[in-house]
Amino acid sequence: MAVQLPYQLEQIAELTGHEDRVWNVAWNPVKRILASCSADKSVRLYTYPHTLPPSKESDGRAAFSLLNTIQTGHTRTVRSVGWSPSGTSLATASFDGGIGIWEQEPPEDDEMDVDEVTLRERIRPDDWECMSTLEGHESECKSAAYSPSGNLLATCGRDKTVWIWEGYPDSDFAVQSVLMEHSQDVKCVAWHPVEEILASASYDDTIKLYYDDPDDEWYCFQTLTGHGSTVWSTAWSPTKSYLASSSDDKTVRVWKRVEQFKWECVLVLGGHTRSIYSVSWGPGKPSEKEGNLGWIASCDGDGNILVWELEEPTEGGATSPPKHRIIAQMESAHGVCDVNSISWNTKPGYEDILATGGDDCMLRVWRVV
Amino acid sequence: QPAGRKSDFSGESLWIDEKVETHDDTDEVEPIDAEEIYGLIRTIYDPEHPNTLEELRIVSLPQINVNKNHVRIEFTPTIPHCGASTQLGLSIRVRLLRSLPARFKVDIYVKPGSHVSEHALNKQLNDKERVAAALENQALLSSVEQTLRAFSGRV
Repeated sequence: MAVQLPYQLEQIAELTGHEDRVWNVAWNPVKRILASCSADKSVRLYTYPHTLPPSKESDGRAAFSLLNTIQTGHTRTVRSVGWSPSGTSLATASFDGGIGIWEQEPPEDDEMDVDEVTLRERIRPDDWECMSTLEGHESECKSAAYSPSGNLLATCGRDKTVWIWEGYPDSDFAVQSVLMEHSQDVKCVAWHPVEEILASASYDDTIKLYYDDPDDEWYCFQTLTGHGSTVWSTAWSPTKSYLASSSDDKTVRVWKRVEQFKWECVLVLGGHTRSIYSVSWGPGKPSEKEGNLGWIASCDGDGNILVWELEEPTEGGATSPPKHRIIAQMESAHGVCDVNSISWNTKPGYEDILATGGDDCMLRVWRVV
Repeated sequence: QPAGRKSDFSGESLWIDEKVETHDDTDEVEPIDAEEIYGLIRTIYDPEHPNTLEELRIVSLPQINVNKNHVRIEFTPTIPHCGASTQLGLSIRVRLLRSLPARFKVDIYVKPGSHVSEHALNKQLNDKERVAAALENQALLSSVEQTLRAFSGRV
């Protein structure tokens, strides 16, 4: 490494078991569970201890253990997994065109002595069952994401559409809207962390933003253009006003909210050498520093992971770029293989933990040290 | 074992023959040059003709570039409206996926100006998700297999 960076990525777990490329990894927002999905049509769930072993401890690599394997019944690749905000439901999006909704049986009532938080975070070994299968997409589904309230599920796919489903009790879902704004495959959907605003990224090189007009229905209020090729992934900032996107053009773009319904590109981050398949935006290490925008992590087809630290600009107008610097990087993160997915753990106390999934059929967990 | 690659490709690729002659030191990185890549793809059949890509001058040695672990291949469709170009590019990709060591990253393009849908073709052939989905399509996969069938007697 030519430049001395303030942090390093230390691998704390290396998880094998998938029999084909890992497409996506997702941390449960409430329970200590990491989910992954693969071209082998399965989902694997791993759990980890309250306290991850300290750095440099070699047996730290064994801290993660397999909790469940879900043989999904999807007939083709499971492309992505998305947790509900409560951490109780998991949605799978498959190339077979279907969306699966997975849950465990609710816990027995005789656990009244346990407080609510413990109950919510409790990890149970029970099987995950398919509660519902949502059919509607004409071809490959590529992404599924629950809204911040957990009431809505967004899905997208190669049929160029974005679907918004409304959830009812007993895992019943009704279609609320089918958005046909993109001219090509839709690769990824991501909800704003608080508001019911949805972003979709596409093979048509654009990102579209949607809002549910209370008087009317879902509509696209802005198309973000600027990327020179397919947009693979998008992630909202934990501070809510920014959006990051990663592209086949080898850049990550950062978009800032300048009006209630207007985002503008304020920053283009280079440094990757091949298609950037995934981007994740975490809060970073808890900081007293004012204007801390957290950490952006991204991964590419050459096996690189880059981590940037961003800060609100202290001078200039509304569209001046955030202060930014690369704070850590890892080459050949999955050996010679592509890294397809990257995700920050968002649970409090675990903000410096990253997971990646790659073409080497593995998941790897990293800590920023 | 990396996805999409068969470590023990049982087909009749040229690669397997050449590999037998190389010594067994797995730690050593075997250098691979454009000529070897050409050897792998020239015998692919055109989906619409009884000829190989070499015979139809769809691929040629100067159109192959190898830089460390990156391979860039350009091919020239027979006509600018050639409807089989996507499949042809896919056949090249599959042959290389199965034959080259995992460290190689392959980019496939049509020769600039040689096809009416040049941009769309290039994009499709280099989108790994599209390629992965296409290879899960049994009908498409068997027509790709057809173009990769054993070549008859000419080496």
